Amino acid sequence: MEFGFLLKYYKFFIAGTSNTLMLSALTVVFGLIGGIFLSIMKISPFKPTQKIASFYIAFIRGTPLLVQLYIVYYGLKDIPMFAAGVVAMSINSSAYIAEIIRAGIAAVDKGQFEATKSLGMTTSMAYKEVILPQAFKNILPALGNEFIVLIKESAIVSIIGLHDLMYNVDTIRGITYKPFEPLIVAALIYFVLTAGLSKVVESVERRLQVSD
Amino acid sequence: MIKLKNINKKFGDLHVLKGIDEEISKGEVVAIIGPSGSGKSTLLRCINFLETPTDGEIHFENQLVQGQTSALNLYREQIGMVFQQFNLFPHKTVIENIAMAPILLKKCSKEEAYEIGTTLLKRIGLLDKKDEYPNKLSGGQKQRVAIARALAMKPKAMLFDEPTSALDPEMVGEVLDLMKSLAHEEVTMVVVTHEMGFAKEVADRVLFMDEGVVVEKNIPSELFGNPQHPRTIDFLSKVL
Repeated sequence: MEFGFLLKYYKFFIAGTSNTLMLSALTVVFGLIGGIFLSIMKISPFKPTQKIASFYIAFIRGTPLLVQLYIVYYGLKDIPMFAAGVVAMSINSSAYIAEIIRAGIAAVDKGQFEATKSLGMTTSMAYKEVILPQAFKNILPALGNEFIVLIKESAIVSIIGLHDLMYNVDTIRGITYKPFEPLIVAALIYFVLTAGLSKVVESVERRLQVSD
Repeated sequence: MIKLKNINKKFGDLHVLKGIDEEISKGEVVAIIGPSGSGKSTLLRCINFLETPTDGEIHFENQLVQGQTSALNLYREQIGMVFQQFNLFPHKTVIENIAMAPILLKKCSKEEAYEIGTTLLKRIGLLDKKDEYPNKLSGGQKQRVAIARALAMKPKAMLFDEPTSALDPEMVGEVLDLMKSLAHEEVTMVVVTHEMGFAKEVADRVLFMDEGVVVEKNIPSELFGNPQHPRTIDFLSKVL
């Protein structure tokens, strides 16, 4: 193995990594917003919104991200490539995040809700003061996992030509006629990103566990 | 004070409460006893609408309790409830558990609410646990805090849903003692319980429920000493 190409092409790695990070970060933000919105629709007592949210979640989780990416990229004419990546990934991730939030809320003991009701609290007080703070502890580890998955899955956007880490690595493989070594570098970079993120999640979790 | 008129509750095909009529007067302590599945907890939960009765009316201080949320919340503020599983808020300290509802609902300042909490904690002998989280407390302590949390809203009546059933035997006494002292202060109480000794000693009236109906009701000395209905006799012979 020979990594001399790094000296010449390291800028490709840096540019690709920064695009991957930017894409993932934006997806996290929009996916979380979408996921919160969807989970509210699903929890609401209003049947039609429940149905819509359930169908959306089932459909997105039941179709490949690659297909969703193509549909967004070729379906929305003139959408910039980077935007297509963010939109497709956010649509996908919001469905998973919605389920994570819903499950986290459902895991809070039913008695907690009953206690707030018996004291005369409104539903919004109950969620704000009692349910969500507890649900957050259930949600956070799964959410951290989802973000890690997202960084890895984002490699798929290289297929539409978005210059993320994976795309740039392919470019280097082409230029240098080295099919193997750039992939090792890519794997290491992805690993550093995900391992770093899981450390952050762990430390936040630890801080949340103080009251347990 | 609380009047139940023809309360029915069905869960699907299961008819759990079959037309309960009952009146609880101010200052009265009513114990509800009966076998598992007789509907006694469901009846208690219907009183503050944790379960919505399928049919029937509940009147509180001569006013029909309306089903819509805002009216219901105002009604529930006046009816404290204590659960078998305590249901303390695990992410809040003991004093925060007690002060939360007064702050949110009675517009108390934090200082006022903490003062109410401190007074109640002194009374239940747990002032030193003020800043602990509930999971650091024993079952009996948790239940006493849960009672204090309900009392902090200065309710006009208290509902107890098998308050000692989840406790280790040696902790039952401390909770019953607290409930006895409340009873002596003329707090209106409805207690679903398996503690026959408590019902006998503290209750003004005992209702025996079976299969969704109140089979027999009487003052405790009569109901325990001279039960009339065969099912009451049968039940008491098994538990006493």
